[in-house]
Amino acid sequence: MRTRELGQAVGAEWAKLWSVRSTWWCLAGAVVLMVMSALTLGGATATDMLRDRIGGTGFPASEPVISATSFAQFALVALAMLVITSEYASGGIRSTLQATPIRGRVIAAKALVVGPVMFAAGVLSGAVATGVVYTVLSADLFGGYVALPPAEVALDLLRVGVFFALVSVMTLGVGTAVRSAAGTLTVVFMLLMGLPLMLLMTGVSAAVEVSLRMPLFAGLAFMGSTDNLTGGPMPYGAGEGLLWLLAWTVAAVAAGHVVLRRRDA
Amino acid sequence: MVAAVVGCLALADVISLQGLCKRYGDRMVVDDLSLDVRPGTVTGFLGPNGAGKSTTMRLVLGLDHPTAGTALIGGVPYREIRNPLRTVGAMLDARALHPGRSGYAHLMALARSNGIARSRVAEVLEQVGMADAVGKRAGGLSLGMSQRLGIAGALLGDPEVLMFDEPVNGLDLDGVRWVRHLMRSLAEEGRTVFVSSHLMSEMQLTADHLVVIGRGRLIMDAPLAEVIGRDSLTAVVVRTPHAADLSVRLSGAGITVERLGENELAATGATIERVGDLAYEAGIRLHELRTREASLEQAYQELTASSVEYGARESGG
Repeated sequence: MRTRELGQAVGAEWAKLWSVRSTWWCLAGAVVLMVMSALTLGGATATDMLRDRIGGTGFPASEPVISATSFAQFALVALAMLVITSEYASGGIRSTLQATPIRGRVIAAKALVVGPVMFAAGVLSGAVATGVVYTVLSADLFGGYVALPPAEVALDLLRVGVFFALVSVMTLGVGTAVRSAAGTLTVVFMLLMGLPLMLLMTGVSAAVEVSLRMPLFAGLAFMGSTDNLTGGPMPYGAGEGLLWLLAWTVAAVAAGHVVLRRRDA
Repeated sequence: MVAAVVGCLALADVISLQGLCKRYGDRMVVDDLSLDVRPGTVTGFLGPNGAGKSTTMRLVLGLDHPTAGTALIGGVPYREIRNPLRTVGAMLDARALHPGRSGYAHLMALARSNGIARSRVAEVLEQVGMADAVGKRAGGLSLGMSQRLGIAGALLGDPEVLMFDEPVNGLDLDGVRWVRHLMRSLAEEGRTVFVSSHLMSEMQLTADHLVVIGRGRLIMDAPLAEVIGRDSLTAVVVRTPHAADLSVRLSGAGITVERLGENELAATGATIERVGDLAYEAGIRLHELRTREASLEQAYQELTASSVEYGARESGG
């Protein structure tokens, strides 16, 4: 792949991303969702601790932010989805492919824009949410259980960024394969939320094992969450969580690439 | 043929189709199409709706995959061209734009993608007369303005090969004249201009060469003059007070006669001299004797009469 042409394609995708309003709406939505859900989740934890009169150390302000990603990710999923599905909806994809006829280069350029932008969006919205959680929950009313250990918070925020970047690129891959916004949203929601929860609820151990390796739990494991929704411990650590996330992302992008190459635009 | 000589000199800019086929389901939309589009001329690409014009253009641009055959530009498939917008400029569907993006931003992104100088964006917007509407979102543009923006996009890379699908759609009279002039001047600069249209009369004014297709098949690939000048289409029109007598006389000589009015006949299959001589021999006074060149419209109708797609399933053509 010629790097110069790839650089040009990335420049074009960058320009396209920032020249539509939906980008700003989605980013604003992500920040609002992050703050609101982190505050709610953090508040619940703090009031539980307060009720149970747990003494000693509190929890880092970034901890509820990690749980909040499960909700906030959908604002960024919408943004990543629109990067490709809006082109199919309007027919702009033909203009894109005229300018950059190598299909792999189109997907790579979009991924190289979406990934870093979402990483930054994750880190920044996570930082804002962490700040709000810390400010609000350090009030006496909430027992002052919240803490702000710098190294731990920094690592959490980086991981949130990486998680958002990977989920977004995964969405881009699905969107390229599926093409329609509604279809993409359905598939991504099933991957990120619906399917893992359904499998989990079956209680069948094989299904639970699969569920725990889907993006939802792989992401939580990667970001340092130690227990899953069944109350049991995650069967693997952060490193393996990252690998599972990467595997899902690569699979989605590969599927998108195959479709983009084979199907007429 | 001058065009052929020019074509040899600038072979690299030629659009060349060889046995091109495209099947959708059980329907051949493009059926064994072979043709060369030469530089320095405006080649009109005509056909009824659903004839496969747009599909052919998409195949040339590598947007659709051919079922069989090849479509090459300068001897290579479109996707092998580096920075293709600098070699081939195409406007297919002017409305195919993100409605929320301004025309300026759209062109800027295109320029970036192919390493085209940013200054070209302002230049082409000026050229298409859109300098005032640069910041307007594409969704708010009239069809005519979208069309101009699409043409600006095609011109952006200053390409040698230009393809336009129905460029005058939605344009007002000024716009139509402007497009006509633009096509002509692009060809005069030595570029290859390939324009599809269903407006035969428009092509008559713009094109040097015609490619006519119907149901995906090539019907005609010939210089404009040749299409219009075909014998069966050129008639001799006679005005005479003795139209009935002359009609009998001409029919007797094996000439096809059509009664145009009380005093007017159209004779096909004979030269103007022969019609005049026959009238003279019969002692019939003539008030007018002239040849009537067929319009492209008529020529086209005759050519495509058998291939018009009734109940066309695809609107774009």
